[in-house]
Amino acid sequence: MLLEKTEEVKKNFLNDLDSVNDNESIENIRIKYLGRNGIVSGLFDKLKEIPKEQKPEAGKSLNLLRNELTSKLEELKSSFGKGKKEGGIELDLSLPGRKYHIGSKHILTQTLDEIKSIFRGMGFSVYTGPELESDYYNFEALNFPPDHPARDMQDTFFISDDFLLRTHTSPVQIRTMEKMPPPVRTIMPGRVYRNEAVSARSYCMFHQVEGLYVDEDVTFAELKGTLVSFARQFYGEDLKYRFRPSFFPFTEPSAEMDITCFICKGSGCKVCKQSGWLEILGCGMVDPNVFNYVNYDPEKYTGYAFGMGIERIAMLKYGITDIRVFFENDFRFLKQF
Amino acid sequence: MKISLNWIKDYLDLKGISTKEIVNKLTMSGLEVEDVFDQNETYKGFVVGFVDEKEKHPNADRLSVCKVNDGKEFFQVICGAPNVEQGQKVVFAPIGTIIPKGNFEIKKAKIRGVESNGMICAEDELELSDDHSGIMVLDSKFKAGTSLTKALKLDDVILEIAITPNRPDALSHIGVARDLAAIFNRKLSIPKVKLKESKSNIKSAASIEIIDAENCPRYSGKVVKNVNIKESPEWLKNRISSIGLRSRNNVVDITNFVMYECGQPLHAFDLEMLGGHKIVVQSTKQESVFTTLDSKERKLPAGSLMICDDEKPVAIAGVMGGENSEITNDTKNILIESAYFNPSSIRKTAKILGLSTDASYRFERGTDPANTVYAAERTAQLISELAGGEILSGTLDVYPNKIKEKKIKLRFNRIEKILGYKISNTKIKSILKKLGIKIISELKDAVTVTIPTYRPDIEREIDLIEEIARIAGYDNVPTVSRINVTLEVKHDETSFSNDIREYSNALGLSEMINNPLQPEAFSKLTGIPIKITNPQNLDMEFLRTSLLPGALNIVSKNIKKGEKDLALFETGNVFNLGSEKSNISTFNDFKEEEKLIFVLTGEKNGREWYGGVSVYDIYDLKGIVNSFLNKISLDYFTNDSYYSSDNSLYEYYFTKKYKNVVVGQGGKVSSNVLNKFDINQEVFCFELDINILKSINAKKKEYVEPLKYPKVFRDFSFIFDTKIRFEEVKNFILQNSSNLLKDITIFDIFESNDLGLNKKSMAFQLEYYDENRTLTEDEVEKDFLNLIKLVSKKFNAQLRGK
Ligand SMILES: [Zn+2]
Repeated sequence: MLLEKTEEVKKNFLNDLDSVNDNESIENIRIKYLGRNGIVSGLFDKLKEIPKEQKPEAGKSLNLLRNELTSKLEELKSSFGKGKKEGGIELDLSLPGRKYHIGSKHILTQTLDEIKSIFRGMGFSVYTGPELESDYYNFEALNFPPDHPARDMQDTFFISDDFLLRTHTSPVQIRTMEKMPPPVRTIMPGRVYRNEAVSARSYCMFHQVEGLYVDEDVTFAELKGTLVSFARQFYGEDLKYRFRPSFFPFTEPSAEMDITCFICKGSGCKVCKQSGWLEILGCGMVDPNVFNYVNYDPEKYTGYAFGMGIERIAMLKYGITDIRVFFENDFRFLKQF
Repeated sequence: MKISLNWIKDYLDLKGISTKEIVNKLTMSGLEVEDVFDQNETYKGFVVGFVDEKEKHPNADRLSVCKVNDGKEFFQVICGAPNVEQGQKVVFAPIGTIIPKGNFEIKKAKIRGVESNGMICAEDELELSDDHSGIMVLDSKFKAGTSLTKALKLDDVILEIAITPNRPDALSHIGVARDLAAIFNRKLSIPKVKLKESKSNIKSAASIEIIDAENCPRYSGKVVKNVNIKESPEWLKNRISSIGLRSRNNVVDITNFVMYECGQPLHAFDLEMLGGHKIVVQSTKQESVFTTLDSKERKLPAGSLMICDDEKPVAIAGVMGGENSEITNDTKNILIESAYFNPSSIRKTAKILGLSTDASYRFERGTDPANTVYAAERTAQLISELAGGEILSGTLDVYPNKIKEKKIKLRFNRIEKILGYKISNTKIKSILKKLGIKIISELKDAVTVTIPTYRPDIEREIDLIEEIARIAGYDNVPTVSRINVTLEVKHDETSFSNDIREYSNALGLSEMINNPLQPEAFSKLTGIPIKITNPQNLDMEFLRTSLLPGALNIVSKNIKKGEKDLALFETGNVFNLGSEKSNISTFNDFKEEEKLIFVLTGEKNGREWYGGVSVYDIYDLKGIVNSFLNKISLDYFTNDSYYSSDNSLYEYYFTKKYKNVVVGQGGKVSSNVLNKFDINQEVFCFELDINILKSINAKKKEYVEPLKYPKVFRDFSFIFDTKIRFEEVKNFILQNSSNLLKDITIFDIFESNDLGLNKKSMAFQLEYYDENRTLTEDEVEKDFLNLIKLVSKKFNAQLRGK
């Protein structure tokens, strides 16, 4: 009996829907059927009168009815909200699905994430430090004496006599070592600034990842092993590499790591300046003077440090030829990755 | 620095070693070769040409039509140079040659209607100098058809080497040759000086006095009289031009030649211009002005080291000579200066003047104090050979406190501890020897060595270890294949920022990264900005004080490119001064804080088959902010406050608070602000303080058991005055309901004339449940009916659907 009644209510409801033309009439129908004293409520009241054994089934069908009417109304209402009446179209699975958007991380963030996860896997922690830095952390404690030509290697934006925009992430090495005794095995990503003319190849701001490992028996051989492992994980297993001597005031011996140019495979091209090699990072053994600044015993502890530019790595990896595109934030560029 | 391999060969036999090998070995031992300029390669195809005829171009006044003979044939060539004449020998580039400057190939062409088959070259086009005043005219002795490389002896290979600041010893040809000798195990031969000196003694002709011996530890001089200033001979011109310098006259070229030969900067004074024929080295006591030999007036601060005569300054020590004492074509008597200056003193002066010269570059890195006399004598010898004159006997050499060679102890096991592999003691000793480092005593496990004065960078044991590592070759250091990992907790200070990015992506926002350097107008909009003292330009003069201006700038740029529908976020640091006046001298004078901004503008949905266009509005912004805070479990802890028009940035906005601290603020950006960015559509932004969020998020999430008993829902709708706000009603209901009511949502709201003037309908769903039992219909109904009564009364609202 109640079941027949539900069918009837449903039919009437659908008829009423046909006359709907605005939000208000939808609301009126809602009140008529689903309101506190509405028709469906009336049916629920009747539940009390029917025999106990039929109650579960009847209750279920009433709930179904209520849900169905509610969702029909919602559907209709949302189509009004968008100013379009649908009524109900024939099922057409060839129609495109509704659009959903997932945002993208900036390609520099994605590159950094990848680097981070490789080093996390090798037992590195992650620390950060401020961008507006003191001369002490950015230069002095990293063994750049005042009035030393090594300071010319990094054109600096100054804020005052003693403060500047950090020119590298290396100051975080000092900050991290000040915080804890050895062993320290950490990477330190962040933004750095250089007062260099803006061009396709250089920008006044970019990102670096710094690495540091200090313990009792850290050697240059381990530095090489760790960085080669990183490069193979990041660039591909069959990669060729070389370490050549370089100079950084805070490491000694210092080196730069090159990998075979993956554009020309080593035969020489414009990107690698015909050398067949691409420089990917700078590194070296922590200079004993740096240990003196953070009160580590340079006789007992040795360590290595390295640093790489994320923009450069992303440019090489994704074939981007102008560094400025990273910071233009063209929405099409951002969504591409 | 440019290094000529032909020049290197004056000091070192490189027979049997290819250029490629030299380049590779230099790079692999720390003198990085950045570029190789092989003249044979570069000048392939260029020949000496004879201009047989020259006529005016029929259609262009400044062009000539020439007939050029290459020894075999005649070619018609159009030339634009003013100095081309019939009968000249010139550099002819036939069709198919590649011009070094600009790297372009010569092709058959029609210039203003006349055919041209080749090109007559200027020096700059050949990269022989930067002269573009006209074509290069060759000596008439050359035969037409001779290859250019043969005629001009352009058979050199020039290396561009990047010398790191620790290697001043390598800033010369002998310096680089010294490394090559060590690498290839060959013998270095430094030119010996043989002087033919006159009888008269230098002491009667000139004198030197050092007053500031701290900044000038050594000053040596030679005098050459009756010289003849003229053009340099070909070989010297070649040497000078091969390293990219321009030939001036024999004496100036010689001082440059000796500097590039042995690394010692030299200066030649006109002795007759020196008052009292005297040199006095002293620091200035007050600020002064001095005219350097490039005719520029330089302002010098007190304390600058100057070379003076008995009354006036004649040179800025180690940087540049003065106009008042420079060599001219009439100069006869010369005093050669060869000194050692304190590197940091020279650097200070050069920095202040903004003037970096070949001399200052070397002095500030550290020259060899032991080398001054050799360089002065070598210069004197060459001057007398090439410019005539008599070298006065003796050398002036003031050197009050001799700089001694450093002594360093090197422990063999320390090398292994740093490098991770053992190098034999024999090998270590042989490398030291090759680098000119002397072993003065030897134990079983260590040696004590003295360091030559041309290596100021080697001061400690670690510096020696580096020398050994680089000459032994980094390639020979093993690459380990396993590492030990210590088991302490590995913190990740970026994990919260990572989470933020994930959640923002999930909400449909894409990440942007902006330059924190901005124009003043941007930074002043949102805080008390910090100024860069040496900005590149006004567009990057200040640090950002908020992420908002940078975000609006990006919105504007995207709109101009046709990208009008944007959902963006950024996280990054912003910088604010502590107060308007503060000058930054400690970390307490400013704040650097990490922020997050959400940006919405344009259409959320375009025209689609399932619905019409909808644009982003304040409710999207609220929804995103709430979902975000919910995800980092903050929604129950934060309160909203709403404002309109009391803020210069937003037309209306809301804030989120945790306890009494504002954690974020945002809304619809005011049209005033949008106008500044040339934006003509609505933009919604919300900026959150990450540092505060991070500290709250540290609280642990706790498990809550899912509800076991059914929820009961009730709906009602009322007609209210339009000014009644949702939240007022919601709070009222919550305060007046039984504690079984757990949540209220609004599921419909509209205004209509049928409802009456200034009336609106709001429909609510009430959610009832109890964690410990099933509710009865009666208890819910009782509360529900009570609420209808109370709401109707409180808001003068009319229940709908009765
Ligand atoms: Zn390549």
